[in-house]
Amino acid sequence: MSAATPTALAPAVAIRQLNYYFGRGDLRKQVLYDIDLHLPPGQIVIMTGPSGSGKTTLLTLIGALRSVQSGSLQVLGQEIAGLGKHKLVEVRRNIGFIFQAHNLFASLTACQNVEMAVELQGQFHSKRAQAVQMLEQVGLGDRVDYKPGSLSGGQKQRVAIARALVNSPRLILADEPTAALDKKSGRDVVTLMQHLVKEQDCTILMVTHDNRILDVADRIINLVDGSLESDENLETFVATHDPKALDRRMFIL
Amino acid sequence: MIFLKRTPLAWLNLIHDRWKFLTSLAGVGFAVLLMFLFTGFMNALYDSQLQLLERLNGDIIMVNRLKSNMFVPIAFARRRLDQVRAYAGVSDAYALYISEANWKNPITQRTRPVRVLAFNPADPVLPLPAVLQQRDRLQRLNTALIDTKARAELGPTTAGVITELAEREVRIVGTFTLGTDFASGNGNLIMSDQNFLRYFANRGPDEAQRSFATADVGLIKVAPGTAIEPLVAVLQQEIPNDVLILPRDGPDGFVQRERAYWEENTNIGFVFSLLTGMGFVVGIILVYQILYTDVADHWSEYATLKAMGYRNSFLFWVVIQEALILSTLGFIPGFLVGGLLYGVTGNITGLLFRMTLGRVVTLYVMTYIMCFISGAIAVRKVQAADPAEVFGL
Ligand SMILES: Nc1ncnc2c1ncn2[C@@H]1O[C@H](COP(=O)(O)OP(=O)(O)OP(=O)(O)O)[C@@H](O)[C@H]1O
Ligand SMILES: [Mg+2]
Repeated sequence: MSAATPTALAPAVAIRQLNYYFGRGDLRKQVLYDIDLHLPPGQIVIMTGPSGSGKTTLLTLIGALRSVQSGSLQVLGQEIAGLGKHKLVEVRRNIGFIFQAHNLFASLTACQNVEMAVELQGQFHSKRAQAVQMLEQVGLGDRVDYKPGSLSGGQKQRVAIARALVNSPRLILADEPTAALDKKSGRDVVTLMQHLVKEQDCTILMVTHDNRILDVADRIINLVDGSLESDENLETFVATHDPKALDRRMFIL
Repeated sequence: MIFLKRTPLAWLNLIHDRWKFLTSLAGVGFAVLLMFLFTGFMNALYDSQLQLLERLNGDIIMVNRLKSNMFVPIAFARRRLDQVRAYAGVSDAYALYISEANWKNPITQRTRPVRVLAFNPADPVLPLPAVLQQRDRLQRLNTALIDTKARAELGPTTAGVITELAEREVRIVGTFTLGTDFASGNGNLIMSDQNFLRYFANRGPDEAQRSFATADVGLIKVAPGTAIEPLVAVLQQEIPNDVLILPRDGPDGFVQRERAYWEENTNIGFVFSLLTGMGFVVGIILVYQILYTDVADHWSEYATLKAMGYRNSFLFWVVIQEALILSTLGFIPGFLVGGLLYGVTGNITGLLFRMTLGRVVTLYVMTYIMCFISGAIAVRKVQAADPAEVFGL
């Protein structure tokens, strides 16, 4: 149902003529140029591009973590250009964030870390039940009351994913979620995200340099020097890119 | 209610590293202890000036108008006290004689100044139980009671000691417990007025000659049911004003006047407030350090919370909670060790170290403010945490 969701539905993200600059005065430097991007609901979109091309900047703009300077940016049907800080915080509560580092509190158990997200929705009565159920879905049902210190890197990242997904956000933003993981755990984490996303019917925008996980994408966009260079589905992406770097057989595996 | 259902992040963060938590509490406790000691010394110096006056058995006190504090050795004409007896409402009036004298330490043979308090043993001038019990012994020739809280310089403070007082033999026939102050030299002796004359009536040409014509402090007892203030007003009006007549207690009383004198004419308050302030600042720095480290160590976690949608006010509250926990739990060891040291220093110095509820509460409030200030400074760091920056970290 996911990829086939009718485009009539409001897009999860709709960007028009987005420009972004860092610094002021003489040091002012443009990092995003005239970005136009529509992400319909239910897609897994992978964003690639050379280092410094502005991927993280674009992600933080969509995540309402930075204020839009010029252009239009709609997230989950709401225009966020021009919103005040207070409103931006509310927008963020509907988005799941997954970072390269897990950023879990070492002092809290896996369950408590996830509960911190549930508490944002004010569901204090059911928070433990919700957190446990989510941890079970990411395969950590037997690690619920462990602290991050006694979990492996992949397990920690799965807790972070549980935390990002527990409120069933309709948009998930992930910045190199597998970078700190070994091949197998990275693969597991991405498969898990793919699985959960299809279940919850939400949109994922994931930045990655990890060619091994490109196969989960419905669509791959390429950002070069702050401009969207290409926007294509997996098949064309593979066909047009260096076969050495992107071994087609790997995706089939 | 919501507060109770939230994950206790502040508490869990603090106790996560047990050892660090304990050293943090020890640090806060140390700052609290410094404040306890310095305010303790300050209060002890003031309180000690008053411990004799508070125990004198008079509702109204009479002294020479020029005696601005107990340190000034000016006596008044005793007939003023006899005049007072004639007024309605006055039930009795007693004279207290005070003189400084040299005491020879029987062990080291060194002489040290002491204060001699003398009165008619038949009068309840200083109604300490030990004094009342042993007053018959004071009738004997050249005898005195010694304060067990006298400084160690005087040698043993026990009955049976025989040594010299004002170059005359004295026999200690008993003890009492009072404590030292600025005017008491190394300690207090109590003797009968008759013995007092033997020691101080003819002391050589350089010393004041004492007789029963003058007294140092007059104690006026009021008949039951008589209001003290109006009586004082009448006496102030009608007794010649070479003497000062004041109620013993109350805001305009003699005890308060003595305290005010020491407060206004010494640097005790300034010096010890300064030292207490330093303890306070040490505490602020310590707690700031603890909270700052916590924030710095968990910077990306806090920034992640912000990215998830937590507001600055929530993070502010977390840090303030940590400050509160540290102030409360750090206060307890500071308070306990402080109480212990009050006892020890009180014994060594003979000063009066009092731990009153009001003082404990004041210091707790100061500790709380200390932690709150540190928290408020540290929290700016969390609030500055830019959630955009945890991406790509
Ligand atoms: N806070 C900032 N202030 C100024 N310039 C910045 C800031 N953050 C990023 N930049 C610059 O903006 C450009 C885009 O950075 P961005 O982090 O978005 O790149 P990226 O595509 O995520 O790179 P990478 O793949 O290495 O993570 C870079 O040239 C970077 O130096
Ligand atoms: Mg980046």
